[in-house]
Amino acid sequence: MKYNILGYLIGEGLSNVFKNKKSTGASLIIMCATMIIFGVFLILGENINHFVTNIKSEQGFQVFIKVDATQEEIQKFGEDIRKIEGVSTAEYISKEDGLNTMKKRLKDDKGVLNGFNVEVLKASYMVKIDNLEQSQQIQEQIRKIDNFAKITSSDETITTLIHLANGIKIVTGAILLLLIIISIFIISNTIKLTVHARRKEISIMKYVGATNNFIRWPFIVEGMIIGMISSAISIVLVGGAYNFIAQELVNASFMKLIGMSLVGFGDMLSSIIVVYMLLGIGIGALGSVISMRKYLKV
Amino acid sequence: MIEFRKVYKKYDTGTDAVINANFVIEKGEFAFLVGSSGSGKSTLIKLILKEEEPTSGNIIINGKDTTYLKPSRIPFLRRSMGVVFQDFRLLPDKTVYDNVAYAMYIVRATPRHIRRQVPMILSMVGLSNKAKMYPNELSGGEQQRVALARALVNAPSMLIADEPTGNLDPDTAWDIMTLLNEINMRGTTVVVATHAKDIVDKMKKRVIHIQNGKIIRDDKKGGYDYEI
Repeated sequence: MKYNILGYLIGEGLSNVFKNKKSTGASLIIMCATMIIFGVFLILGENINHFVTNIKSEQGFQVFIKVDATQEEIQKFGEDIRKIEGVSTAEYISKEDGLNTMKKRLKDDKGVLNGFNVEVLKASYMVKIDNLEQSQQIQEQIRKIDNFAKITSSDETITTLIHLANGIKIVTGAILLLLIIISIFIISNTIKLTVHARRKEISIMKYVGATNNFIRWPFIVEGMIIGMISSAISIVLVGGAYNFIAQELVNASFMKLIGMSLVGFGDMLSSIIVVYMLLGIGIGALGSVISMRKYLKV
Repeated sequence: MIEFRKVYKKYDTGTDAVINANFVIEKGEFAFLVGSSGSGKSTLIKLILKEEEPTSGNIIINGKDTTYLKPSRIPFLRRSMGVVFQDFRLLPDKTVYDNVAYAMYIVRATPRHIRRQVPMILSMVGLSNKAKMYPNELSGGEQQRVALARALVNAPSMLIADEPTGNLDPDTAWDIMTLLNEINMRGTTVVVATHAKDIVDKMKKRVIHIQNGKIIRDDKKGGYDYEI
């Protein structure tokens, strides 16, 4: 019998969605619009996160060793670096590796490197550290090691970038929160229109002795279904647009220049589906509850 | 049983809608509430349905004082009474059958019970052949019959009708009243608010006359007017 009631309430909600085509359409469009904007910020946030993680994992510097250092000296140099407290890894980059990296960067123009004598290049260590704040101190210690040539570091740029990214993340979070509030407000207003149009029906239900929950649930189901449909539509639209833009950006030269990559939509898909569905269903349900309050007082 | 004890109702607008109403409508009784528009009879109906709260006094329904009834219990009070209105108040997008079955869904009747009860009640009001039609395909009298069927399908102990014949022509109105009388014969308490003078005179039932919020007459077998 419980199942019977549940089935009835869900069935009512479902048939309401299709019966009230105009208000369902209005709710869908508005909800999709908010969810797409929401998606833009969500994806922006994901990418900033990705960017920051990338940068953080790359924090460190490249230490070059004098050209004339022997293989043993190079070996010792690496060991000395690893002994310093706060150094997490020190990866050896041989002269040949260095040349290959250069060739890769130049890609089409790598012909200029033909006949290049690998011996003029310096071998180096890519040093990664645990904490960016110790960077200066560790660099000081490395400078004292024999056969030290030079350090190239992008510390300051990285710190600035991380600060910037964190700032953007906070702003994005605030915008997301604002969007959620706005969509609840909009959805509750749209559903209010439906409820208002059916206030007579609701009053009949009350006279026949329907409890508030019995009246409320079909509307909540209706809101949830609308939320679910708009989520699905938005995911498809946002996904399509993102894939297109990502494709274009991957080929853009400035992205290559700063060595930044975008998160693939497939990687975000599962989390986006979860967030969207929860949000869509939640907003729909909450919107219905809010908009119904006034009309249940008969 | 419906009992009013020193019931006053003053609306926020300052109107005294009901002044010191005292009466008892016994179980199985048939009573008319008569009076001109704005006399307070609709307020009396609303007080019985607990759509409005009395400003003071007590209303006892089936032996229970409804004054302190929790709002969440109101639906259950309303299930003990069937209600019929002047404008029928049917759900336009449901068939005759579903309109009646709806009242049973609400009280969580089993599908088997619904399948048995709805056709029975529809045949009682003479609408067996219109079960699959929609309200807008029916005449006024037929719509009121559907409303009656809906009000009665859960076998309430009382039936409250607010101007049930107000939108109907005299012949149809009389049919509805005959039906109400039949329902009363089966043991249901029937309370009808109306200003259909000829019907009240013809039925020779109890008449509670309200004017400007005061009950000015309560006749066991009366007519609409003083003289009779």
